Amino acid sequence: MNDKKNIDRLFQEKFKDFEVAPNDAVWERISESLPKKKKKRRVIALWWQIGGVAAMVTLLLTVGVSVFNTDDNQKFPIVNTENSTNDLNNNNNNNNNTNTPTKKSPNELNTVESNNKTQIVNSNIDSEQESNLNDSKDDTSQKTSTSKQLTIPNNYNQKLNSVANNSKVVKQHKSSQKQHRLSSNKDKSTKIANQTKTSNSNLKKNDNTQLASKTEIKSTIKEALENSNTGIAANKSSENTKSETPHKDLSKTNKPEAENSLIEIPEKASIEDAIAEQNTTIEEEEKEDDQNRWSITPNVAPVYFSSLGAGSPLDQQFNENSKSSDITMSYGIAGSYAISKKLKIRAGVHRVNLSQTTSDVYAYTGAETAARGVDAEFSNISFKGGEQHVSLISSTMMNKASTPELFNTKIAGKIDQKFGFIEVPLELEYNLLDKKFGINVIGGFSTFILNENEIYADINGSSTLIGEANNINTTSFSANFGLGMNYNLSKQWHINLEPTLKYQINTFNNTTGDFKPFFIGVYTGLSFKF
Amino acid sequence: MSLEQLIKNCINKDAQAQSQLYKQFASKLFSLCLKYSKNYAEAEDNLHDAFITIFNKIEQYNNKGSFEGWLKRIAINTSLQRYREDVGVYDIMNEDNIKDVSVDLNENDVSINYLLQIIQELPDRYRLVFNLYVLDGYSHVEISELINISVGTSKSNLARARMILKDKIEAYNATSNSRSL
Repeated sequence: MNDKKNIDRLFQEKFKDFEVAPNDAVWERISESLPKKKKKRRVIALWWQIGGVAAMVTLLLTVGVSVFNTDDNQKFPIVNTENSTNDLNNNNNNNNNTNTPTKKSPNELNTVESNNKTQIVNSNIDSEQESNLNDSKDDTSQKTSTSKQLTIPNNYNQKLNSVANNSKVVKQHKSSQKQHRLSSNKDKSTKIANQTKTSNSNLKKNDNTQLASKTEIKSTIKEALENSNTGIAANKSSENTKSETPHKDLSKTNKPEAENSLIEIPEKASIEDAIAEQNTTIEEEEKEDDQNRWSITPNVAPVYFSSLGAGSPLDQQFNENSKSSDITMSYGIAGSYAISKKLKIRAGVHRVNLSQTTSDVYAYTGAETAARGVDAEFSNISFKGGEQHVSLISSTMMNKASTPELFNTKIAGKIDQKFGFIEVPLELEYNLLDKKFGINVIGGFSTFILNENEIYADINGSSTLIGEANNINTTSFSANFGLGMNYNLSKQWHINLEPTLKYQINTFNNTTGDFKPFFIGVYTGLSFKF
Repeated sequence: MSLEQLIKNCINKDAQAQSQLYKQFASKLFSLCLKYSKNYAEAEDNLHDAFITIFNKIEQYNNKGSFEGWLKRIAINTSLQRYREDVGVYDIMNEDNIKDVSVDLNENDVSINYLLQIIQELPDRYRLVFNLYVLDGYSHVEISELINISVGTSKSNLARARMILKDKIEAYNATSNSRSL
């Protein structure tokens, strides 16, 4: 019955299938001790995504604000060499041979190494000059002469830093980060007396293709102005240019005054190299575009203009008057490009008309207005010819008892202010939900170019055009926030509905009170993906 | 989920995979820890430490050899770690005294719990050597390296352990026999 058994075998057999489940508490302790990297990573990734979008929006706004800030102080400076000395050595900021101090930040220059040697022979004045530009801070010396000739290169933080231009060549060079658009126009019709000879120009390219920047080099010859491309290159977002690139300037450079002929001195070979390089990049990118990255969306929106705070863009006395706005229409077209599944960048052109009605205003014309006081001077209104004597008085300013009888017999009317813009939005769209029904958030900014500006007042019961506001900036910006919804009709067609708030940053120069205008639009569109 | 996938997910610190891996192997490893430890609490500690090591080093498992074997080695090493610094002095038994130790017993009467108990009651190094040699198939040379003793010491410790265990089992049998009578 009792086997004599080797003790080793006894234990081996007994322990062969020996398993004991440990207490659950052990696992709890283990799991607490373990670094939960995976979970944290997910959280971080999500924050990166959201943070990335926020950063992009901030970036776009920063660009808008910085452009706005610099714009007030600097009009596009044009130095006419006719009146200047032959030597211009004062452009420390500009490492190009330029007579025009373009707005350019040292930051941009830092990214660029340039080594230029430009020799210009100006036969008209029999002067020769060599300018050596070895560094961004180097003096730029250049001689140009003859009237009506200007050199206005704008070089923004680009691969092309030194530009040499044969005077017979007009080149325009635009590039942006993902959507490089290059155009090169050669205009051979110029007949200017100036002959410049380009002898040597070295270009060093900044390899940093992350720079989304725009280089726009524009040379306009008087006779060939129409041939120049006046397109506005949209500046795609870029970290390196966000705070510094005043692309407002660029749009201005598109409209050089006709009298001026602009000369640039790019070395053709180098520019073509750059173009070729960028074209290559474009091709590569296009290969990556597997499907339907682009879409185009005509849209229309009812727009309601209002403001935060009580104030008036017209005059101080109207601060307290009730103001209302008609619902007006905005319409336009937008294109978008899907950077990733979640993120789209989009731009467009919209026409937007806004109006604001200020109630309870007496408007009258006539000799009696000569007696009005200081408060009746309207510095923000340019009265049109023949209507200089229009006077506007807010009924809220009046004390019935002390008012001249004149007013008591009148009925308070209203002032209609109408203004319209061409809006160029540049926005990012981030998909929160991408199913049959999609939801996305939109952030970005818009550039506004004023194209309509009228003020009507009720004079003797009829609405009369009295003039225009002179405190609306011809170019202004807004910060845009929107929530987009879309419904996919098919793979290619989508219906969009995007309520968007556009907070206007510098639409008005000189407002009174706390006038912070914005408008809300419900953008409805049909988009086509391709 | 296959074991391979499970291991992969554990490498990625996936909490769910870690939990599953634990569930799958905890019992086996805990029994191991129990054998090498002098009591239940110490076994739990060792199991805890072993799994921490396993999850931290799981990417070092190279898919060669059995995963379970790898886990067991870690559990054993973790258990041994506790005694490595602690070099106790044990009697060195003359190798001549080492003989085949047999015991009379009724197999069915000896409970696994009792065997575990007497293992745990062994002096630390006897326990380690006995476990390593008898239950987990290590050679004396390997044992000598593992716990930093000489081969001779390992052999004599094993013999001592066997003796002690035999005595205890016989005592156990005696009491149970007397009880059954």
